[in-house]
Amino acid sequence: MSPGAIELVLFAFVLLTALATAAFRDVLAAIIVFAAYSLGMAIYYAVLLAPDVAMTEAAIGAGVTTLLLLLTIAKTVRPGRDEIFESIHWSGLLVVGAFTTVILVTVTSFPEIGASDAPIVSNPEVSQYYIEEAYHDTGVENAVTAVLAGYRGFDTFGEAVVVFAAGVATMVVLHTEVFTRD
Amino acid sequence: MSLPLLLGGDLDAFVADAFLVGAALFVVLAIALLYRVVKGPTMQDRVLAVNVLGTNTVVVLALLSVGLGEESLLDVALIYALLNFLMAVAISKFTVDRGGVI
Repeated sequence: MSPGAIELVLFAFVLLTALATAAFRDVLAAIIVFAAYSLGMAIYYAVLLAPDVAMTEAAIGAGVTTLLLLLTIAKTVRPGRDEIFESIHWSGLLVVGAFTTVILVTVTSFPEIGASDAPIVSNPEVSQYYIEEAYHDTGVENAVTAVLAGYRGFDTFGEAVVVFAAGVATMVVLHTEVFTRD
Repeated sequence: MSLPLLLGGDLDAFVADAFLVGAALFVVLAIALLYRVVKGPTMQDRVLAVNVLGTNTVVVLALLSVGLGEESLLDVALIYALLNFLMAVAISKFTVDRGGVI
C-alpha cells in the first residue's frame, strides 16, 4: 500500500482544522485549533518523508507560535465571545476562492514525483557541483551545512541578525531581562 | 490489501502495510477528536482535546516511522511528546490566571 490512504485522511483533517481556525470568533479557541492544524501538518511532512521539516513544524508550529499568540492576547484585548463562529464574508470568500482555483490549475504543470524529466533530475550539474566540491571548497563535511554557512554565509548572517533583532524586540515588549544586575 | 501470507507474498511488506493502515486509522480518530475541539463548549474541553490530539500525533509518527522505515521520524515524535505537554500547560495557565503564560 502506498501512503495514499493516509494522505487522503490527513488532507481532510488539515482542511477541517484550517477552516475551523478561520471560522472561530473567539481568538483563544482559534489558537487552540491552530495548534491542532500544526499537528496535522507535521504528520503530513512526515508522510512526505521530510523529517527535518516535520521537526521544524513541531518546534515552531506547536510550541513557539502557540506561546507567541497566547502572549499577544495576554498583552492585548480578547474580543467578546457572544457568538462562536465568525459570520462569513461572502465577497471575500469569492475572491479567495477564485485565487485558489487559479493556484490549483497550475498544480497540474508540476512534474510527477520521481519523474525522470523533472528539472532537478535532468539538469544535475548544480546539485552535483555542491556534492562533489563542497568539502574541497569549504572544508565542511556536511553538504547542507557547507551551503548554508559557506556558500551562503552572508545570507545566513543576515538571517541571524533578523532573528536576534526579533528576540530583543520581544524582550523589550514583554519587559523581561535575561541577565539581571546583582 | 490481500493476505500475502497465504499467497506466499512478502512478509516485511505486509507488516509495513499493517503499520501504515494503523496510522491511517489513528488519523481517522484525530478527525473524530476534532469534533470536541470545535464543539467545546468550554475552553478546557478544547485544551484537553488538543492534548489528546498531540498524543495521537506521537502515536501516528511512531507508526509511520516503522511503516515507512524512517527512523528519524522517531525524533520528531519525541519533540512532539515534549512540546505537547508545554502547550497544554501554557494554555491552561493562560485560562486560569490571565496574562501569565510563561
